[in-house]
Amino acid sequence: MRITVSRNARALLASLLVLSLVAACGGNESQPNVAQVRVGAPTGPNAAVYFMARGYDEDDVLVSASTDVAGSVEFHETTTNDDGTMTMQPLPSFSLPAGGELILEPGGRHLMLIGVDDLKVGDTIDVTLTWQNAGEMTVEAVVVDPADTMGDG
Amino acid sequence: MFANKTTRLLLLLVAVVVLAACRSGTSTGELQGTVLDVPQEKGSFVLTDTEGAPYDFASETEDSLTLLYFGYLECPDICPVHLAQIAEVFDQHSDLAREAKVVFVSVDPDLDTLEEIREFLDNFDSRFVGLTGTHEELAAAQEAVGVPPARIFGEGDEYTVDHAGWVIAYAPDGLSYSIYPFGTRQTQWTNDLQVLAALESE
Repeated sequence: MRITVSRNARALLASLLVLSLVAACGGNESQPNVAQVRVGAPTGPNAAVYFMARGYDEDDVLVSASTDVAGSVEFHETTTNDDGTMTMQPLPSFSLPAGGELILEPGGRHLMLIGVDDLKVGDTIDVTLTWQNAGEMTVEAVVVDPADTMGDG
Repeated sequence: MFANKTTRLLLLLVAVVVLAACRSGTSTGELQGTVLDVPQEKGSFVLTDTEGAPYDFASETEDSLTLLYFGYLECPDICPVHLAQIAEVFDQHSDLAREAKVVFVSVDPDLDTLEEIREFLDNFDSRFVGLTGTHEELAAAQEAVGVPPARIFGEGDEYTVDHAGWVIAYAPDGLSYSIYPFGTRQTQWTNDLQVLAALESE
């Protein structure tokens, strides 16, 4: 049996296909697109979470984060002083400008999991991010060897 | 035309093989870390190791490729990265691992116990040496090797430690030719540890 489809119907199907592909690709313009979420395997009481967030059509601010596997989550930034020493300071929040990026990476900004459970390389954990405008979203972080947090392979 | 195409293919093949050889992890012979203008002599200091015994840095590491790093255990961001990168090189080059000494000094003796330092290092490689001491001993050690002294601020939630973010490497000849700031790539570590290990004392 041969299915015949009118030209109009084909055009409609094609547009539907394109639309669904766009939706699947995360073309959602109302919340941040968070990718490459990773956490360094803990080597002490704390562990650091890194990710890359792409902004959408309005400014937003990451105001808090939480996870079941740690007592609390703090926002920290490591900076390098003039004499080459490195210092870590707490920040109240991280900004994500409209259409911009928020990059959390070793030696820079990170979420610090305080009092973290024993996590093994390859485990995944859920981290809930709360944005001022976009609200709550839960992302999955992969536990990686600290050498691989740099995204260096 | 056919000959040209074959030639081109052959050239391409040669290029691919050459590139592959360059990327196979064999060292290039040149240091890729931050090379010092003037090589520095190895400093001398005595601290306490994780067994509670005195550790004379200069004599214990004599004639060995030596990597020295000052940090603290609650540092989850940069301290583990350096140590994990070095451990990864050792995993792939057991000859280097046997010859080299990796020395981690905790600059936070009030919080980091000898037992905790041992546990921390065992995450990477149980051969890594862990040291600490009194604040005075630590200040003397940092001065002896020419790194700015770590500073500890505040307590509780506001607690933080400023410390030198780089690893000092000493070749087996006892000289430091290069240091490794935070952000050093895995490929740079792999290259440089092999180059430095070859600089034997005469």
